[in-house]
Amino acid sequence: MDNQTRQAARLWTLAQPAVSAFVLSVVRDFSVRDDVLQETAVAVIESFERYDTSRPFVSWAIGIAQNQIRLYWRREKRDHLIFDDDVVDLMAGSFKTSLPEETASLGFLRDCLNQLEGRARELIEMRYTRDLKPASISELIGMSANSVAKALQRLRDQLRDCIERKNSSEGCAP
Amino acid sequence: MTHIPGDLISRYFDGDLTSDELRELQDWLRSSSDHIRQFTRACWLHDRLRGELQSISQGNPTPLSPAEALPPASMRYQMRSVAITACLIAVVAFLSLFWLEVGTTQVSAATELNRLISAQNDHLDKTYEVDVEEIAASRRPFGKQSEANRPPKPPLDGAVLHVRHGGQFVLIRDQPDGLSFITGCNGRTSWAIRPDGPVRFSRDLTRFNRDLPGHEHDIPLIQIEDGLKQIREAYEIQLLPIENADADNGGQSPTRLMVAVKKRGHRGPQRIEITYSVATGHIRQLRFVEMPYGPERLTLRMTLVEERTLRPDFFDYQSHCSADRIVEEE
Repeated sequence: MDNQTRQAARLWTLAQPAVSAFVLSVVRDFSVRDDVLQETAVAVIESFERYDTSRPFVSWAIGIAQNQIRLYWRREKRDHLIFDDDVVDLMAGSFKTSLPEETASLGFLRDCLNQLEGRARELIEMRYTRDLKPASISELIGMSANSVAKALQRLRDQLRDCIERKNSSEGCAP
Repeated sequence: MTHIPGDLISRYFDGDLTSDELRELQDWLRSSSDHIRQFTRACWLHDRLRGELQSISQGNPTPLSPAEALPPASMRYQMRSVAITACLIAVVAFLSLFWLEVGTTQVSAATELNRLISAQNDHLDKTYEVDVEEIAASRRPFGKQSEANRPPKPPLDGAVLHVRHGGQFVLIRDQPDGLSFITGCNGRTSWAIRPDGPVRFSRDLTRFNRDLPGHEHDIPLIQIEDGLKQIREAYEIQLLPIENADADNGGQSPTRLMVAVKKRGHRGPQRIEITYSVATGHIRQLRFVEMPYGPERLTLRMTLVEERTLRPDFFDYQSHCSADRIVEEE
């Protein structure tokens, strides 16, 4: 591997969390995110010689990811419920500046997840480990799909509150 | 609005919005930059939840019930990734390989870190060369007055560190005048040999290890295995591609770089980069970025220069000074 590819790989590793979150915000589906992220990584390495080092790398990579998302939708030709371009631009702008803050803030996520027990833990694992949607989860555990969706929302809120509490107690609130 | 934003956002992630509700969500996002930030933060959490739970799942597999007979999502993704990568290989083979390596993210990184921890049990003594790349002042006031008043430490740059299991070490630092300042520990006593003055030793094994970067932040350089366990708890870890994987690589065996970025709320270097042998898991180099070291923050590299069994008394102070030196116990 030459120095340029090594440098690109190093920068990509650090930027990947922000690019991943951005792509997921637009495509929603984890498997689609994985596909788009994979194509973005290849595009980043292929075009790295055009990267202007005076600009933040994460901004450049998110710009490439936007292009890859458009290409993906065009190729798939599926009638998706997706955001308009102007909203995607707004979100891209926000992700370009949120990397350090969010990366640090979410350092407590593992601790907060470890506090979940019983049904709460079961639900969150079904949703995120096995990528099951509320309707599928409801069939497995005997709750209505609506109740599962509500419970997942409460769990995300609960985790966010826990993370913010821990950040505050460390004196570094986001 | 018929729904509170949190409800819309949550159902957006779960793929459960109607076209009218999606329009409602978009209007809400357009109406304020605060709304965009709120949505962005929810996305970060949603995305990270996936990574964390897959990582936990990898470390603590749970049996599936018959009702959960779907193939695991991670397996579906791996199959999909392999298929796509196969197509990409036809176009840009080495770039696809790059992604396969980088894209495995936290799950394989955690597994790989466990392998590195196991690989440290080979019981060979190791010799590292220390290179200081950068020295910066600490961001926060240095609190311990007694430490602040201590004389300057001999330079770490160019130092040689010998390490043996059980916390035994010998650190040899050359001063500007060419004389060596040597500290060490043989597992029973710790000791220091200044170029001038008596040899000092103590039954407190930590008495002379404060000159080792990392000892105060649970990243002990002399017990790499413990340091790696600390990384598992306090750092986000990612893997970079394998290097020198080609047959024609000039005789170098394949190595890999693991990058660990410190989580908020934990102490230690901001980033740790570990270069290791893919075949054996043996560490070739450790790079610590912004490592707290007294009143300073260092960026330093420890490069493995030798692995062998040193003589049994190598970690005793008597092996590093003449017999006529005055010795004092502290």
